[in-house]
Amino acid sequence: MPSVSSVEAPRSLRTGPLLAAALVALAAAPAEAYVGPGAGIALLSSVGVVLVTLLLAIASILAWPFRALWRLLTGKKTARPWARRFISVGLDGQDPLLTERLMAEGKLPNLKRLAEQGCYHRIRTTYPSMTPVAWSSYSTGVNPGKHNIFDFLDRDRKTYLPVLSSAEIGSVDRFLRLGKWKIPLRRPEIRLLRKSRPFWSILGDYRIWSTVLRMPITFPPDRFYGAELSAMSVPDLLGSQGTFLFFTTRRSDSKFKEGGQRVVLEGGPDRFSTVVRGPENIFRAGDPPLEIPMEIELDRAAGRVRIRLDGDEHLLAPRQLTGWVKLTFRAAPTVKVQGITRLMVTELDEHFSLYLSPINLDPESPAMPISHPSYYSTYMAKKVGTYSTLGLAEDTWALNEKVTDDATFLRQSYDIDTERQEMFFAALDKLDRGSLVCVFDGTDRIQHMFWRYHEEGHPAGAGREQAAHRHAVEEVYLHNDRLVGKVMSKLRRDDVLIVLSDHGFTSFRRGVNLNGWLLAHGYLALKPGCDGSTEWLRDVDWSRTRAYAQGLTGIFLNVEGREGEGIVKPGAEARALRKELIQKLSGLRDDERGEVGINQVYAAEDVYDGPYLVNAPDLIVGYNHGYRVSWDCATGVASGPLFQDNLKAWSGDHCVDPNLVPGVFFCNHAIDKRDPALIDVAPTVLRLFGVDAPPHMDGKPLFEKPPATLAPSKASREGGETRAA
Amino acid sequence: MSLLNSALRRLFDLLLLPFQSLPAAVGLVVVSLLAAVGMLWAFKRTSNQAGIEAAKRRIHAGIFEIRLFNDSFRQIWRAQAGILRANLTYLRYSLVPMLFILPPLVFVVAQLQFQYAYAQPAAGDRTVLEATFAPGWEKAGTVPASASGKPRATLELPAGLVAETPALWIPSQRTLSWRLRVEQPGDQTIGIRIGDRLYEKSFDGSRPLERRSPVRPGRSWLDQFVYPAERPLPSDGVLDRVTVDLEPAAVALPGWTVREMAGVPAWMTVFFLLSIVFAFALRRRFGVTF
Repeated sequence: MPSVSSVEAPRSLRTGPLLAAALVALAAAPAEAYVGPGAGIALLSSVGVVLVTLLLAIASILAWPFRALWRLLTGKKTARPWARRFISVGLDGQDPLLTERLMAEGKLPNLKRLAEQGCYHRIRTTYPSMTPVAWSSYSTGVNPGKHNIFDFLDRDRKTYLPVLSSAEIGSVDRFLRLGKWKIPLRRPEIRLLRKSRPFWSILGDYRIWSTVLRMPITFPPDRFYGAELSAMSVPDLLGSQGTFLFFTTRRSDSKFKEGGQRVVLEGGPDRFSTVVRGPENIFRAGDPPLEIPMEIELDRAAGRVRIRLDGDEHLLAPRQLTGWVKLTFRAAPTVKVQGITRLMVTELDEHFSLYLSPINLDPESPAMPISHPSYYSTYMAKKVGTYSTLGLAEDTWALNEKVTDDATFLRQSYDIDTERQEMFFAALDKLDRGSLVCVFDGTDRIQHMFWRYHEEGHPAGAGREQAAHRHAVEEVYLHNDRLVGKVMSKLRRDDVLIVLSDHGFTSFRRGVNLNGWLLAHGYLALKPGCDGSTEWLRDVDWSRTRAYAQGLTGIFLNVEGREGEGIVKPGAEARALRKELIQKLSGLRDDERGEVGINQVYAAEDVYDGPYLVNAPDLIVGYNHGYRVSWDCATGVASGPLFQDNLKAWSGDHCVDPNLVPGVFFCNHAIDKRDPALIDVAPTVLRLFGVDAPPHMDGKPLFEKPPATLAPSKASREGGETRAA
Repeated sequence: MSLLNSALRRLFDLLLLPFQSLPAAVGLVVVSLLAAVGMLWAFKRTSNQAGIEAAKRRIHAGIFEIRLFNDSFRQIWRAQAGILRANLTYLRYSLVPMLFILPPLVFVVAQLQFQYAYAQPAAGDRTVLEATFAPGWEKAGTVPASASGKPRATLELPAGLVAETPALWIPSQRTLSWRLRVEQPGDQTIGIRIGDRLYEKSFDGSRPLERRSPVRPGRSWLDQFVYPAERPLPSDGVLDRVTVDLEPAAVALPGWTVREMAGVPAWMTVFFLLSIVFAFALRRRFGVTF
């Protein structure tokens, strides 16, 4: 104890309550330390953030000369670049006929201005005119025979069952077992099946940055100097391409034909306890599904539903679609699987129904690799907020199954478009030099689902005149035009902007059951006692089958040595069979409508070349306007009529003869080629950055010399050759 | 103020009663947990949670940008500037709940200070007792004084305390001081008789944890606010305050004895750390972002 007197209070007193009291008056920052949680943490975090960012910045700056030196020593040399930034806006499915009509009517002023400033052309698409195929050719500059993507689906050669054509997701077979727990000893392998190299990967060799946003067939993402957010083929949390959940008090024995799960609610009448089922829990013996309890409380009088889900409470009115709701499935201590979904009460009267959109991987913590670098999806989520990650993000299946309605689908589509635009402009803002590629899918999805209102007399167009969204197709074109205007306002002098689509669009009025035709004409045989109505060709007797249709446009021969139970001898017999089928199917008529259903059937060897030709369907079917493979045939059903009206909301399509559905191509500089094709884009981008296109590329640059309207880039002004920097 | 302090004293005496015979750390764990819960509740209701979340997202995005665009000076600086801007926004949003949380917390901290800040006196310890006279005390004419002007005061010490020195008068500070020695600690009351008035100061030491205050305040509102552990001195008396020196207490945690550091009492360090830990652990349950 002190032995001398003091008139002052002890030190501890001064720094304790006195200080706190003073801080009440002054509210100075150090006081937060005494608040502990909340403001105290805020202060600590803020100081931490400042320190961390300073350290990061200093480290980046100090490391920069070494990185620059390394690049100088190891980087590849480019010729004089013509552009500083290449910006590609992909409007999936934007149709030239519609675009030209609306431009002529003055409804697309920005696209018109872009065409006048630079150029507008129709652009040749691929065989088949299908999103995964077309964008893969755009990326790689090669025909499908070199990039290996021929359809959405391929077939397992042994089992004839469909498999995803673009990615292969392996399973885990080695575990450490601890009672009811099992610990996977390795991660499942996920492999991109697209071959060849996209142009951004080649640019990366020269240290030219690229940002690639939601380009189809980029799952798992490419690794290159740049950033990429995967799109088409990214599954939902259930591992499917988009399975919605439908909780309902209505009993039904029928399953959804497309991707949806019905959960019948028991109990009630106003309270229900159920679970949201997630992926299988590979950490538990037997792989039971992961579950999150959900409590539902109906207030019919007030027209409100209270839903308790994963620690959050949602108060919903009917037809009110929530924003993204996070779901955390707990697989094991410290192991969580995170997803996001949107909820909507679709019915609240005598019966109750609740729709949950497909559970997307949470971009902040994705369970699978959906971006490069791996933290890029998290970065984007921090930058623009939570966003959809599912490959086919718009829930077309729920609308097809009439679980949701037109307004909900449009809301989903435009919300996704808004997310995409925010990502695009955030990336554009960060692009000093290099390329930015982004695909907007809304045009494609809305045309698929609303063509029935766009076209008079469509079999699925009942109530067209009164439909609230009968102009949905035209409106999405106007929406795209505004987007283009906004992009144009952000352009710099030596930027090259292209706006393009992968294919056009047309009506899907009648479905063609190719397998039914093959069955009727003796090319496909059924097992005894089967009628062909079982999905995925399970009724087929392969020992007597010579050809079968798989996917949306392909016909495969059952080739001996290639297919598991092949009977057609490769060589002359296969060639003859191909020729026979081409002759019989080309010009196939729909007698009921008096129209041609199939324009032309193409032999793969006539439209493809390259090392992966062997994986292609033997024949590619080019349907006429208004025709497409039927829903039954697409799911491997061989029974039913050859031609059938399409009554689904999915009423427009592009999987027809590619010559009928070219895409659109706009550029802010005139190009030197009159007949551009999608495969020309990749070599063009390389040329713009002074990189020679590799010899294997099929496309040719659209510019033969630097466009006169393109101001010399800073890089080129600074001198001839440049090294990556 | 006196009434409020009296109520708080009773409340905290009651709350901490179960912990009096336990190590200080036990009581502090409970108090920190309760404080964390209370502050989380208040933080959630008084803060702009959406704003805080948005600011944090911008900060995180900026940190990713520094990593992502590390070949570009321009982007590094832009990210840095963005982070600083977001950080300021974050602090601004955090300040609002602090204004709501801090005033009640000051009362809590003041009460806890007297429960946990001072060590139990032990036999053989020495302390200095000091009585501060109010300005103008001599003009009241109620206090006998010597010719030199030193007020006459008599100590009335309980058994167990012994005065080792006569009273020392420092006129410039108006203080009378004695050095005391503890012979037997206990819940004791020291009396200082001045004229016909007796002024008392508690000197408790029977248990490791109990309310101890180095100061019995007088009329000053600030003194009463800061030293709420004892009733204020009579307002018509001649003393402004009475103080004793008390040894700061340490808090023993498993593997770590926390002592007073840089003037911050040991209990406060423990309280601060524990309340942060609890708040972090419970933030999701309360749905709070900070």
